[in-house]
Amino acid sequence: MGKKFLKFEYLLLFAVFIIATCGLIYELIAGTLASYLLGDSVKQFSFIIGVYLFSMGVGSYFAKFIKKNQLNTFIEIEIIVGLIGGLSSVLLFILFEKVDYFQVVLYLLVFITGCLVGLEIPLLMNILKEKVEFSELVSNVFTFDYIGALLASVLFPLVFIPQLGVIKTSLFFGMINISVAIFLTFLLQKEIKNSLLLKFKSIFSFLFLVVVFFFSDEILSFSEEKLYGENIVFTNTTPYQRIVLTHNKNDYKLYLNNNLQFSSADEYRYHEALVHPAMENATNIENVLVLGGGDGLACREILKYPAVKTITLVDLDEKMTQMFKENTILKTFNQNSFLNKKVTIHNQDAFLWAKTTTKKYDVIIIDFPDPSNYSLGKLYSLNFYKTLAKLANPNTVVVIQTTSPYFAPKSFWCIHKTVKQVFSNTDAYHVYVPSFGEWGYTIATLNSKNTFDKVNRKVNQLKFYNHNYKSLNQFPKDMMARNVEINRLDNQILVRYFDEEWGKL
Amino acid sequence: MKNGENSNQFSRRNFVKSVVFASILAQIPVMLHSCKNTLAEIFLKITGTNHILGHRLWLKNFPKPTEIIEIPILIIGGGITGLSAARQLVKKNKTNFLLLELESTIGGNSSFGTNKATSFPHGAHYLPLPNLHDKELISFLHESKIITHFEKEKPIFDETQLCFKPQERLFIKNNWQEELIPKYGNSEVANEEINRFFEITSQLKEEKGFDGLYFFDIPIKTISKDKKYRYLDMITMKDWLSNNKFTSEELLEYVNYCCKDDFGIGIDFVSAWAGLFYFSARKHNASTTENVLTWPEGNGRLAKHLAKYVEDKVKKNHLVYEIKQKDSLVEVLCFDAINNKSVIYKCEKVICCTPQYINSYLFKGRKLSTKFQYAPWFTATISLKKDSELNNSELYWDNVIYKSKGLGYIYNQHQTINQIVDNKSITYYYSFSNSNLKQARKEFLKMKEEEIKNIIISDLSIAHPTIKEEIVTIEIYKMGHGMISPTPNFIFSEVKEIAAKSIDNKIFFAHSDLSGISVFEEAFHHGIDVVNQIFNEATLDS
Repeated sequence: MGKKFLKFEYLLLFAVFIIATCGLIYELIAGTLASYLLGDSVKQFSFIIGVYLFSMGVGSYFAKFIKKNQLNTFIEIEIIVGLIGGLSSVLLFILFEKVDYFQVVLYLLVFITGCLVGLEIPLLMNILKEKVEFSELVSNVFTFDYIGALLASVLFPLVFIPQLGVIKTSLFFGMINISVAIFLTFLLQKEIKNSLLLKFKSIFSFLFLVVVFFFSDEILSFSEEKLYGENIVFTNTTPYQRIVLTHNKNDYKLYLNNNLQFSSADEYRYHEALVHPAMENATNIENVLVLGGGDGLACREILKYPAVKTITLVDLDEKMTQMFKENTILKTFNQNSFLNKKVTIHNQDAFLWAKTTTKKYDVIIIDFPDPSNYSLGKLYSLNFYKTLAKLANPNTVVVIQTTSPYFAPKSFWCIHKTVKQVFSNTDAYHVYVPSFGEWGYTIATLNSKNTFDKVNRKVNQLKFYNHNYKSLNQFPKDMMARNVEINRLDNQILVRYFDEEWGKL
Repeated sequence: MKNGENSNQFSRRNFVKSVVFASILAQIPVMLHSCKNTLAEIFLKITGTNHILGHRLWLKNFPKPTEIIEIPILIIGGGITGLSAARQLVKKNKTNFLLLELESTIGGNSSFGTNKATSFPHGAHYLPLPNLHDKELISFLHESKIITHFEKEKPIFDETQLCFKPQERLFIKNNWQEELIPKYGNSEVANEEINRFFEITSQLKEEKGFDGLYFFDIPIKTISKDKKYRYLDMITMKDWLSNNKFTSEELLEYVNYCCKDDFGIGIDFVSAWAGLFYFSARKHNASTTENVLTWPEGNGRLAKHLAKYVEDKVKKNHLVYEIKQKDSLVEVLCFDAINNKSVIYKCEKVICCTPQYINSYLFKGRKLSTKFQYAPWFTATISLKKDSELNNSELYWDNVIYKSKGLGYIYNQHQTINQIVDNKSITYYYSFSNSNLKQARKEFLKMKEEEIKNIIISDLSIAHPTIKEEIVTIEIYKMGHGMISPTPNFIFSEVKEIAAKSIDNKIFFAHSDLSGISVFEEAFHHGIDVVNQIFNEATLDS
């Protein structure tokens, strides 16, 4: 008898160990996914842990109501935890597109898993209480529980996430959870009622997870992981665009509607070139206007000039600017520029805003998405630049990102020519950004005497730009285009050029 | 039925509980059903020209006039002709006039409505760029800041009032193609015919008669006296096409669409002269690119510019029901529908800018020739659901469905500079092209709203199969007499000349139906001409 009890006890204690490991893994997975998909890891982890611990308490409370068939119930709970915990990440990944109710699902899953895990320990102690001395039981159970927790928390970031990724890790531990149930049903077949049904349930659930495990890549290919070929850490669909942040080694990439907006490895080239030639050259830089640029990176560069008193940023997408103001990862890119008191954000349509604004600005920086459709094409039209000219003083310097002069020379020079209709003094320059290729800008002013190369002020800590404008405004032959038309609202010729040129690639 | 012991347990409390429960259960299918119904329900609103008030002209059951107002000049009708006449009077410094309008708004076929999202046209919704020699129109467009300035004597149009890109598309062979001329999957014969057709019309566009004037020009009054092509007015467009061996479906459908769009009737019924006028009268010489001017409220914008001249002189909801001469003056009897009383206006000059089918009721013994044919029309402005497919797609300004019964739809917020339009609104156009327009009108006015709704939805479903589920509201605007429709032997007919003749240098007539073609330019020039006529004749008198 004694030996048998011993075996029985160690078996169940081993189960405790596994359960504890798995339970903590599910919690970590929920926390990881929440911070991937929703951002702000401190907040997400803190909430997840809190909810998880609380729901374990809820589970423990209800354990006392389970009086009959405790062993059966224990095994069944094991199976359910394995299924829910194992599938949780798959479910969350599939659902993260629907961010609106994503959090509800997330916390519901955390709550259910927590409740079930919380049920397990008291239930187990109830099962064992008649067979083992109470003090020994309590200390044994909790010892294995905490060892399991330690193992999980060490292995999760070091082994499982790098080796298997989030989805496979959760499925793997779901399988372990269920295999405990399978072992128990076979080893304790005499102790449990209707063991055949439990065997069937546990084996079927196990096989189900195995199938999902092997097809998890296919399931994920429905998501955009494949499209980007990188690890997606963050996605958000705003009313205006789809924002995806990916991570690969030391490089973060931000995509707006599947177009690369910046790569953290080389965006400094793009943004230094966008901001500093205008800022160093303008006679006055007190009031700066940024149109577009909802990532706050242009603002970061502008804020390097202490003489700047106000930055007015107009970006249509409130969710986007909100994210770059609050999200921990994203804030590191713009160095909290949106939290600076000099910055005022208007979430409005830039064209409409410009039509109604009466203020004038010393520097105007335009960082709109490329003119890939008729809506965006309006922001590069003659009428838009005429509207813009009303916000400029005679000495105001305007700079506009104008797509790639190498891949799209007609588009590039079309914008340049259109700007020139309004700001008679214009120049163009370009810079090499590895993740974009050759990229270009148009710089313009109403002052006919400005040659754009006079440096009125400098910033020292720049990584790329050396305040030598003349090094940027030479264009080789393959970046030139002649005979381009002016882009107007009624011809939108730029959208056609852009489509022709980028469509080829 | 269950009897015996157990049935006694069915206590009052249980009974009440189960009744409540059962009634809730019973509600579920009803609720589900009504949910479904509200989903499918489209809010329908019918408006249109005020034919109820208008039809009182038949009975003339108006109260006896209780007031006499003396005014030297009176304009009847606040459509483009009346407004243009008013503008011309102001330009001539003759500001002592009034304008009476039957409707509650001015503009006539250029009137417009508004909904939560946008303004939208009731009828006319664009103006092609004017011919360079149309000085009057160009000067009006300049004063209205539609032309911003001139470069090398050519007008420069305001970019935001020229139709934006993307402009026109045609749904043909289950595919949207750019432009309205069929191209997608055309047969070779069709392509050859389309080319040949445009060769002919571009030749007609340039051709001038012995007097150096164009054979086709706008306004029609400026065309050559040379009668070389007048014979075309004796045949239908269909006959002309078949005489010239045009047989391909693509070309015929296209020309048919154009005729219906401009004249309300298709190639089977329209005069060939009018049909070719459509393609040849506009010279496209004012700008390097062919385009049109358009606004969310359609030509309502032009009406507003004209109305600046008459702000305090317009009396709306005023129905003129009789005009007669008395003691060297003209008496105009008018019913004021707001105050429900009748007024007599005593005037020296009266300008009737009303269509001829109205004029026949205003004068004793004035008969309307059956040659004045008016096609019935309706437009339907549809608000789309925010999340619907059509609302989220990129709409063109003009969207036409090949071989459909209607004339397609326009996108009302096309001229917005916004990046995003949350609630899009489209206006669908429909004309009843028929050999018997009077009968068509009778049937149309009897049509129930559901019937009209079904016409719209089944037509749009060709290109947008799920449109029925995507609509929030439909606002139908009915026009019994949508526009003058030039059937053969009308444009150069004697009846038209007679109808245009002034009476005793006191009563004058001006309306686009006196040109035979219902377009802005004709109405605009009629308004100017009639005022010039009055004052030239007046000068002659003195």
